[in-house]
Amino acid sequence: MSNGGLQVGRVLRAGTRGFAIGCAVMQPDIPAFGSFVRAEGQAPGSAIYGLIYDVSVEDDPFVRQFISANPPEEVVRDQRENRQVPIEVSVLAVGCSDGDVIRHRLPAQPPVTLDWLYQCTDEEVRAFTARFDYFRLVLEAREVPADELLAASLRAAAAVRPESEQETFLVEAGRELTRLLAADPVRLEGLLRRLQA
Amino acid sequence: MTLELSRLTGQVRALGEELAARERRYADLVALARRWLVQYADWGERLRHPARVIRAAIPTDEPLNAVHPLPAAPKQFAVIAADGSQIQPDRHGAALYYLINVGSLVYRHGTGVAPEAYSEPTLGYTEADLYENGLLVAGNLLDVRRDLAEITRLADLCTVEPLRPTVALVDGTLILWVLEDLPAEGRRAKVMAYLDQLARIRRAGAVVAAFISRPRRAEVTRLLYLASLEGDVNRASQELNPLEHLPDRAVFRTLPAGARSALFISPSPINHEYYHPAGHAVHFYYLNLAEEGRAPVIARVEVPAWVAEDPDRLKLVHAGIVAQARITGDYPYALARADELAYISSQEREAFEEMVTTALLRTGVRTTLSPKAYYKTLTRRGRRRYRL
Repeated sequence: MSNGGLQVGRVLRAGTRGFAIGCAVMQPDIPAFGSFVRAEGQAPGSAIYGLIYDVSVEDDPFVRQFISANPPEEVVRDQRENRQVPIEVSVLAVGCSDGDVIRHRLPAQPPVTLDWLYQCTDEEVRAFTARFDYFRLVLEAREVPADELLAASLRAAAAVRPESEQETFLVEAGRELTRLLAADPVRLEGLLRRLQA
Repeated sequence: MTLELSRLTGQVRALGEELAARERRYADLVALARRWLVQYADWGERLRHPARVIRAAIPTDEPLNAVHPLPAAPKQFAVIAADGSQIQPDRHGAALYYLINVGSLVYRHGTGVAPEAYSEPTLGYTEADLYENGLLVAGNLLDVRRDLAEITRLADLCTVEPLRPTVALVDGTLILWVLEDLPAEGRRAKVMAYLDQLARIRRAGAVVAAFISRPRRAEVTRLLYLASLEGDVNRASQELNPLEHLPDRAVFRTLPAGARSALFISPSPINHEYYHPAGHAVHFYYLNLAEEGRAPVIARVEVPAWVAEDPDRLKLVHAGIVAQARITGDYPYALARADELAYISSQEREAFEEMVTTALLRTGVRTTLSPKAYYKTLTRRGRRRYRL
């Protein structure tokens, strides 16, 4: 498995359904909500795919002092650029790979503490979203903002395709959602609206 | 939990009552001390010699009750702060070593530029590092090495700092506290090494000051008691000083926001013996850091003679410290960050000990903790909770 993607951070804790990673500083190119990410699996060449559903900055009493104090620019830059402000990124597991075939199901084993998490390359995102079986894993995840997450991931997946293919991709995704959410037209309508946004 | 808190409730209640009673007693003493401060304001010259004898604050040419308002700060200036922490040598550990970590921050006011943050660890592990005249470098000996490392780091940074003016800040006191039971020549060498760094800061064109938060010294109150006895050293030594435990800062809580007190000279024998002849005699004043309308926050600031005797340098230190303290509210931002950069957490300490053990194994040295240290690791860590 190539590790060509951008390193996001290291695994802090992990379970089969998802994992959390820590990174020191918020960089502009660190993946955002709805991005596809990959961690190495336990077996050589295997991988675990996930979607970022939360990015949180942990509490810091020193920073809290400056919230209402209108600190000078030097302090703001010191806090942002020099201090090790811990950022935690939460990931929902949506697939795995043995090195050849990508499967949209929960991994048999979670990644291990301090494993690197990488942002998926455009090629990996296209390969992962060639099918839509992972929709069910997202829609059924209770601990995440599922509809927002799915819409954000689809917009991200469309963006890495040629412009001429983007609309077709989103229409096909919409059809799959219509099939899955046929019994819940209100939720379906909300999700389709988010896709168009 | 082995500390039986329930058995302390009575003692804690008594502690609270004792402190409240002491506050009430202090209120009368503070009023007395302030009356003496006004009454003997112009007695400075007359009290100078007797004050040195009984180790009271030594007056300068300023009236004792002088108040200097907050001067304007330059639009741009640099504040460089350094602080240190250490790991003491542990004869029960896997190897004998000490570690000094000096944190420092270069903060350039008015530039909008991110401060520069540094953390400089130094490991002492050779026989020459670890022993001094047959004594293990621990306790006060290690404290002195840390203080020297801090002031040297400050001098290094002042030397290369392009922004002027520059204020170098030390946390604590400028007076190197060296135990008196060391050989005289050894003590002298350490103090002179410290003074050399003060001289480097001066040559670099910077000023230096030490900042003491919530000071407990009672040197000015001792001076006021001496004044009330009209400078009679014998009576001052023999009679009970009613202000004996009253800290100076209680007297100066009436300073206006941002203002400083009169300058005094530190009565420390080291100051007189070493600092004064080298031109670095430590002066001090009290300073109200609070903003207008806020409760006073009194700090003690120490400066060497070449700062105290130069009005522009003195104003720079005064304005610079208040500007720094008002970023956080009551403590210089650069010192808070230097402390953070120097701090060695328990996790870092454990990780470092593992590094040392691994390095020893790689070189074929088999080592273990002493039985005492081993059992402490078992009993003091508590239960570990695993979470996935």
